[in-house]
Amino acid sequence: MDLENLKDRNIGEQKYRMLDLEPTPTTGWGKFKRVLRRSVKLELLVGLKVTIREMFKALFMGEMHTVKYPFEKLPISPRYRAIHEMKRLLESGHYRCIGCGLCEKICISDCIRMDTRYDENQRKEVSEYTINFGRCIFCGYCAEVCPELAIVHGGRYETASEQRASFSLFEDMLTPIDKLKEQKEYPGFGAVSPNADENIKPTPLAY
Amino acid sequence: MGVVANKKNKTITITIDGKEITTEYGKTILQVARENDIYIPTMCYLTKVEPIASCRMCVVEVEGVDGMILSCQEKAVDGAVITTNTKDLERERQNIMKLYDVNHPLECGVCDKSGECDLQNKTLEFNVSQQSFTAKDMHRPVQDWGFISYDPALCIMCEKCVRVCNEIVGSEQLQISVGGYKSIIVNTQPESDCVSCGECMAVCPVGALVSTDFKYTSNAWELNKIPSACAFCSAGCELTYETKHESIENPEEKIYRVTNNFEFSSLCGAGRFGFDFENRNAFKDPAKLETAVEVMKRADIIRMSGLTTNEEALLLQKIANQTGARLECSDAYGFSRFLKVYQAASGRRFWGGSLKDVSESDVVISFATRLKDDAPMVKNHVAMAVKRNKARVIYMHPIEDASIQNLVTRFVKYEPGSEEGVAALLLELLTRESEVPDSLKSYIEELDIGNLSGESSVSEEELDAIKGDFWKRKRFTLIVGEDIFNHPRVENIAKIIVAIEKFSSFNVVIVPPSGNSLGVSLICDLSSGNEGYSVGYNCDADFTLSALGDGDLDMPALNQQEGTITTIEKRVVPLHVALGYDGYILNDIAKALGVGSEYTIDLTQELPKEAGFRGVAFDDLEIGFSVAGEDIRGYTLEESESEGSLELEEPEELPSFDGVVVYCVNPPHNPNPFTQKAKLTKMEAKLVGTQQFATAAKLSEGDTVEFEIDGKKFQRVFTIDTSLKGTIALNPTFDMGLSAFTVSSYRFSKINIKKVGSANE
Repeated sequence: MDLENLKDRNIGEQKYRMLDLEPTPTTGWGKFKRVLRRSVKLELLVGLKVTIREMFKALFMGEMHTVKYPFEKLPISPRYRAIHEMKRLLESGHYRCIGCGLCEKICISDCIRMDTRYDENQRKEVSEYTINFGRCIFCGYCAEVCPELAIVHGGRYETASEQRASFSLFEDMLTPIDKLKEQKEYPGFGAVSPNADENIKPTPLAY
Repeated sequence: MGVVANKKNKTITITIDGKEITTEYGKTILQVARENDIYIPTMCYLTKVEPIASCRMCVVEVEGVDGMILSCQEKAVDGAVITTNTKDLERERQNIMKLYDVNHPLECGVCDKSGECDLQNKTLEFNVSQQSFTAKDMHRPVQDWGFISYDPALCIMCEKCVRVCNEIVGSEQLQISVGGYKSIIVNTQPESDCVSCGECMAVCPVGALVSTDFKYTSNAWELNKIPSACAFCSAGCELTYETKHESIENPEEKIYRVTNNFEFSSLCGAGRFGFDFENRNAFKDPAKLETAVEVMKRADIIRMSGLTTNEEALLLQKIANQTGARLECSDAYGFSRFLKVYQAASGRRFWGGSLKDVSESDVVISFATRLKDDAPMVKNHVAMAVKRNKARVIYMHPIEDASIQNLVTRFVKYEPGSEEGVAALLLELLTRESEVPDSLKSYIEELDIGNLSGESSVSEEELDAIKGDFWKRKRFTLIVGEDIFNHPRVENIAKIIVAIEKFSSFNVVIVPPSGNSLGVSLICDLSSGNEGYSVGYNCDADFTLSALGDGDLDMPALNQQEGTITTIEKRVVPLHVALGYDGYILNDIAKALGVGSEYTIDLTQELPKEAGFRGVAFDDLEIGFSVAGEDIRGYTLEESESEGSLELEEPEELPSFDGVVVYCVNPPHNPNPFTQKAKLTKMEAKLVGTQQFATAAKLSEGDTVEFEIDGKKFQRVFTIDTSLKGTIALNPTFDMGLSAFTVSSYRFSKINIKKVGSANE
């Protein structure tokens, strides 16, 4: 279908048909009759049939459909973009972030900042890392650009708090070291593609 | 640049990529291409040094010539038809890139160079996406060289660092250990006092040589670049302050590093590492300003340092005119006396020689300056002359400098204080074969050469030997330095130098002392020895306006203000604001006195035209370099020609310097109290002498001594330096705060030294 067709709002064959409705009563007697008929014929209960059925199910048969938030929560998509998480390396438990600054650079709302330094082990240490969640629009660019899969989006969407800072410190976003085993990879943008192993080419080693 | 200018000046026409170009013979193909905006990729080419030719990236094809030609080395010849881009060349270049990329660590994510890395750029440009060659990787640990750290794993052996260290800086500190894949850059004297200029680091195209302090603190793309100039010495080198917020907690701007246009110009350690001397935490207190205005009104003397911009100097002059105060500047006073006599005697405003003349000459005489410490940039140009033209360098000074031994052909020692006699001897020597007017001839004939050479201890044999050095050489330069400006006979020395410049084949380069002394001398009426209440602008006085932050009223430091400075090249160059400043500025005081203008830089236009300034507005001043590498910052001062009147006087009886003598000199990367404030260049001030000096002054290593120069009390730890020779000790002044700018006497001082503490206590 090309654009012209889309623009044509008179699409399809104009098969309009008048509904077969009884005429609206005009006389007083006619109106009275209609009120009487609607009241006595219990048409109202026909309309409420489904509602009443579900009510009985919920009240007496234990089939409640309402989620009792905050006691109950719906499962969310693994690709949902909520408060960020910082991942650790599974082998060493060290945080994955190398301080390359790409997330800081790509952030369109300019809400990521990091301080880095040369540490005692001759590595680049991320001495300070913050995300200003007052500005973050959860676009997911940071997770996408991260070369180490270090910053990802988590599922923590409840961000009401006395202080926004409660979410934005590196330590709070980092996987707790005792929960390292439960750390899961983020499947959203920036994640390793399913065929990543096939794409890797080994360095030639002729010696 | 790199290539010695040809003498023929023949015009040639060549064709590059179908574009017809008319140029002069003597330039390389690459130079011609670059000057005409034609792109030829290079990895190892550095404009300011001779072609290195280690990368072979710059290959081009020339019609009628088999094979590929290295455009960086090959001179363009008339009628040549050159192609810079064919499939073959592309393949060749891509292969070169593939070889460069073998085992290069994939740590761009953390590397400091990422974002401004030549290797990164060219790898992407030539589309090298995988490693197709192999070599056994090996462990190459990071080396710490003080200000600089070297990571051999990242090094691509382009040799730029080695070249600048040898050819530009002349310190021959870096060498290549050749071994194919195992090649590495070697710091030959890691423990020694390398000049710490950071030139090697600046030219490194990859992250192999980086600043130890800057390492891993910021990515290149995060930094704001503010072009400015270094005002610490008269060279006024181009530099760029790179700033960013200090940290997450502190959003205040901070200077992270200083870079420069390393393709065309250089920087010394003071400019590159002494950058954080800003006056932080200044604030406006109207009561303080009022006091300052009050004292300014009744001040008899206004003192300033040489580190004052042209605009501020003009403001101070205007204030002085208004209040009737006398202006004093001990940095520039001697120089201004020199300059006045020089101008009257020569009929010209300025000396004729430039730094380019120094680097292109084949005989250089350095007179009355400890070259490496006083003027690192002039020393660099001497090194270029030595390395490119095998120039002979005659270094005339009372103290031998072991650190530039490799550059100096002949060290001529004279007695401190005998500069006038030595200048007269030089005049006799350099004009031996010249046509001189009769008056000068009779003056030279009447000189008592024997007596002068006896008094100055420059023997006649030495003079003849210097004469021998001139044999078959054509371009001569005489560098005259700081020592003479505070010499009691500076006026006659100036006349002798005018005579040398006029009647010998020597170009003369005068090295103005600290910072903007030339500008201050041109703008202000200076005097000295006045009595009364004094106000100091960055100079110790009864009431001090201080950019160090320790005075009675805060003033902005040179990286916090706009303005211009005047350089050794007679060029007016702009400074720009790198860091914010919240306090009062000199203009506020001037405004209160009714002589200020709306902004300080409004005065750039008003700089005195009779002194050579051109009346260009600050915002019209250019920055940077032209495509061909010429400095186009600001403008050059206007020269004027008129008939001078040269009347030489007899050299006076020389004062003798017996006993304990010290020489006031600061190390090249810490020339003044401002660099002493900077965290990298800060150091402990020590009196450095030889064993001979120690014996004469009855001192031993580690003793604490006290002495007085010019009424200033110095307390120093004494240390013996075995590389030093002679009986004169070196005394730094950088730790004296703003009082360092009040020392105005001759640089050699006879002192009464008092031991106040010994090492064994």
